[in-house]
Amino acid sequence: MNPRFEDIVDEELSPGERERLERVHDLLIAAGPPAELPPHLERGPTLGMTLARKRRSGQRRLMLLAAAIAVLAVVFVAGFAVGNSGNGIVGTHSLQLVGTKQASGALASLVIQNADESGNWPMTLSATGLPKLPTHGYYEVYLWRQGKAVAPCGVFVVSNKSGAVSVHLNAPYHIRKGDSWVVTKQLPGMNGAGPVVLHPQV
Amino acid sequence: MELALETPARLRAVPAPSPETTEDGTTDAELLVRVGERDRAAFEELYHRYVRSVMGIALRRLRDRGRAEDAVQEIFAAVWRSAASYRPERGPAAPWLYAVARNAIIDRMRARNEQPTAEAPEVPSGEPGPLERAERSYVSWRVHRAMEELPEKEREVIELAYWSGMSQSEVAEYLHIPLGTVKTRTRSALTRLAGVLEGEELA
Repeated sequence: MNPRFEDIVDEELSPGERERLERVHDLLIAAGPPAELPPHLERGPTLGMTLARKRRSGQRRLMLLAAAIAVLAVVFVAGFAVGNSGNGIVGTHSLQLVGTKQASGALASLVIQNADESGNWPMTLSATGLPKLPTHGYYEVYLWRQGKAVAPCGVFVVSNKSGAVSVHLNAPYHIRKGDSWVVTKQLPGMNGAGPVVLHPQV
Repeated sequence: MELALETPARLRAVPAPSPETTEDGTTDAELLVRVGERDRAAFEELYHRYVRSVMGIALRRLRDRGRAEDAVQEIFAAVWRSAASYRPERGPAAPWLYAVARNAIIDRMRARNEQPTAEAPEVPSGEPGPLERAERSYVSWRVHRAMEELPEKEREVIELAYWSGMSQSEVAEYLHIPLGTVKTRTRSALTRLAGVLEGEELA
């Protein structure tokens, strides 16, 4: 049942003020309650939102393709190689990672900077709660594409009890829309990417 | 995607120069311009100001929480892609964002061969018509956006009084604060909301 204005504001009001507040009262009732947000939307925008590329009509796409070819030709003649343009990442991005069952309670933030002139993507990983691994064990950051760890981006160890670490890494790859990163646990004798211990928040 | 700039006709015949200003003094329009320049911090701020409104419109149109959550992601991706086309001199940010959200949902439904719920039904009924629904939808959009301007303590008394069915005394008991404090906060919240909404010619 909707509240009555008289029950909400029972003090003396000037006619103008009363009308003003009563209109807000009516709007609040008309609007109804705001939608509840799931935790993943409450946290903030995802990297995927800013990686999304603009959809274009076929004709516009052809024109842009022709323009891109012309630009590339000029670049080629000039002897420059420009890497990683047009992948949709502009500016600094932060990717939040959470621990899997392998490292429940671990959290990390991966900050990805703009690619440098050579096409390398500098990244800083700050993590907490990662368990210390046995001798010769280490953690590895992998580029994650279509459900698979496809390329290593750097390794690190955790030596303190808190499991806190901050390391600078690099992704020397052409990054595509939908790409992400995970952290794996690499134990002695293990070949390829080990079990994932940190993955992007869903 | 074509961006339609029209808003529900009966709400605002003439777009007003809206302040849309928050406590830090940054207007939605300024944020949107910065998003067009690929400013991620501005995008995050705009996201938090509008995510509840966006979720609201997605839920009303799609009537499915899972699909609405997906649509919210698509809508903000569309905002990121399209923000550079926003021109502050043509109007405030809120209707522009509303149009982007609505169009993204309609695009999504068309892609799945679904009828947008705002389309006119074939059989006459006592339900509100498309225009009324659009108007209500826009009212909700602006009111929920305005609610984001309230301090947390004022927002909670409004939410409890209007949308949880509590009397003022029950709100006081629930929050363990004096009844007078509830009334003061409520009055302050209504005044603040009036200020925000009047700036947009809605109240």
